[in-house]
Amino acid sequence: MDNRENMIEVDHVSMRFNLGIEKGFSLKQWFVDIFSGKKKPPQKEFWALTDVDFTVRKGEVVGFLGSNGAGKSTLLKIVAGVLKSTKGEVRAFGNICPMIELGAGFDPQLTARENIYLNGAIMGYSKELIDSKFQEIVDFSELHDFLEVPVQNFSSGMVARLAFSVATIVEPEILIVDEILSVGDIAFQAKSMDKMLSMIGGGTTVLFVSHSVEQIKKMCDTVVWLDHGKIVKIGGKEVCDEYTNKMLNLN
Amino acid sequence: MLNNVKYVWKKYRFLLHQLVSRDFKVKYKRSVLGVLWSLLYPVLTMAVMALVFTNVFKFTTPGVNYLAYLMSGLVAFNYFSEASNLSMSSVVANFSLINKVYMPKYIFPVSKCVFVGINFLLSQIPLYIILLATGTGITWHHVLLPFVYLCLFMFTLGFSMILATVAVFLRDMFYIYGVIISLWTYMTPIMYDIAIIDNPGLMMIFKFNPLYWFLYFIRRIMLYHTVPEINVWLYCLIFGLGFLVLGLFIFKKNQDKFIYYV
Repeated sequence: MDNRENMIEVDHVSMRFNLGIEKGFSLKQWFVDIFSGKKKPPQKEFWALTDVDFTVRKGEVVGFLGSNGAGKSTLLKIVAGVLKSTKGEVRAFGNICPMIELGAGFDPQLTARENIYLNGAIMGYSKELIDSKFQEIVDFSELHDFLEVPVQNFSSGMVARLAFSVATIVEPEILIVDEILSVGDIAFQAKSMDKMLSMIGGGTTVLFVSHSVEQIKKMCDTVVWLDHGKIVKIGGKEVCDEYTNKMLNLN
Repeated sequence: MLNNVKYVWKKYRFLLHQLVSRDFKVKYKRSVLGVLWSLLYPVLTMAVMALVFTNVFKFTTPGVNYLAYLMSGLVAFNYFSEASNLSMSSVVANFSLINKVYMPKYIFPVSKCVFVGINFLLSQIPLYIILLATGTGITWHHVLLPFVYLCLFMFTLGFSMILATVAVFLRDMFYIYGVIISLWTYMTPIMYDIAIIDNPGLMMIFKFNPLYWFLYFIRRIMLYHTVPEINVWLYCLIFGLGFLVLGLFIFKKNQDKFIYYV
C-alpha cells in the first residue's frame, strides 16, 4: 500500500450544465408564453461529469485520457476552483498552479515586461517573487529583444513561450496542465517538456490532460480514462494501450 | 471572517495594483498629453456646460459663483457615473480570466472604482484651481471632505457590484443603464440650483437620490463654508454603507453562477 498523504480528493463529483441557458430570456418568447398559457419548457440538462471519484497522492502524476467532450477540462476546472461542482466535493491540500489556457491573462496592448507582472499577479504571485524571478523568466522564454514590445505584435508561438515561462516560475504543490505542451517550436517544446519533467522530479503533484497518448505514457504514474463524464478505468500505463485499442477499433 | 479578508487582501493586493495600473497604461497609451487628460477633461466638460447653461438657459446660482457650483457637482457626479459604468462591464469583459484561473471576482468592480477614484483625486486639482480663481476660497471646513468622499466611494462600489451582477445575467443592462444615467444626470442638481424646483412631489424624489446628499454635503463646505447639518452626515453614511453591504451581499450570492452566463 502506498501511504503517502492525499493531495487531492475528488469525492463523488457530478457536474450539470443547463444547455438552455444560452437562450436565457427573450421578451418575444415571454409574450408568446403568456398568451398561450404555456408553462416554461423544462431546461435541457447535460451532465458533463457523473459521480467521478478518485484520490491523488503527493507526488503522483495523473494523466487524463478521453475523447473531446469527455469532461476532462471540466474536471480540471473544478479542481482548480474555477467551476463549482453540482454534487460532491473536491478537496485540494496545497497551492494549485493552473495552466489551463496559457496567456489568458495577457493584455495585448501592454508590453511583454508589463504582461509578466500582470500575469504573475493573476497567478497569485507577489511583486517580490516576480522581481526575483524576472531574469529567469526572460531567459527561459528567450524573448530578451522583445521585452518592450506590446504583446499584440507577438506571434502565437511567442505568446505561448512567454506564458509558459511565467506560469512555471514557482514550484507549486499541485500543477494542472491542460494540453499546453504543444506550444512553440520544436526546440521550445523539448525545453518545456524538460521543465515539466524536472518539476515532477521535484515532487510536484500533477494533473495532466493531453491528446497525445505517448506523452501520457511517458510522464504519468496513473491514468484516468474518461468517457461521457464517467470514469471508464483507472490504472497504470496499461490503460493507455486499452484506450488506444478501443479508439482505433471504433474507427 | 476577518482573517479571511486579511488573507485575500494580502494575496490579491498586488493583483489589484496591477489591474489598476493596467487601466492607466492602456487608457493613456499613445495619447500625446497622457495623464494630463485627467486634469483637462473635467475642465473642458465644465466649460462646455457653463457656456450652454449660462448663455442659453440663463442659469444662475444666487450667492455663489456658477462655475464653482457646476464644477463641484460635476467632479463628484462624474466619478459615480464613470466608475459605475466601467464596473458594470468589468466582470463580463474579464470572462476569459474567470474561466481559467480562480480569483475573487470582487476584484474587477473594485479595481475599476479605485482606478476612476485616482482620476477623481487628480480632478481635484482643476476643481481647486476653479475654487481659487473664482474667489470662492478655501477654509478649514475642507478637512471634512474625506468623509463624504469615502461615503461616495462606498455607495459607488456597492451600486457597481449590483450593476455588474445584473449585467452578467441581462446584457440589455448596458443600454438601459445608459438611459438611466442620463436621467440621473438631470435629476441631480449639478448644473442648476435646487431652488428652481417648486414642485413638492419632485422635491421628494430628490431627497431619495443619494447623489443629491453627497453633492449637498460637498457644496455646504466648498461654496458656503459651513459644517453640514447632522442629518446630512447621517444620510451620507447610511447611503454609503447601506449600498456597500447590499452590493456585497448581492454579488456574493450570485458570483458562483457568473461563469455559466458569460
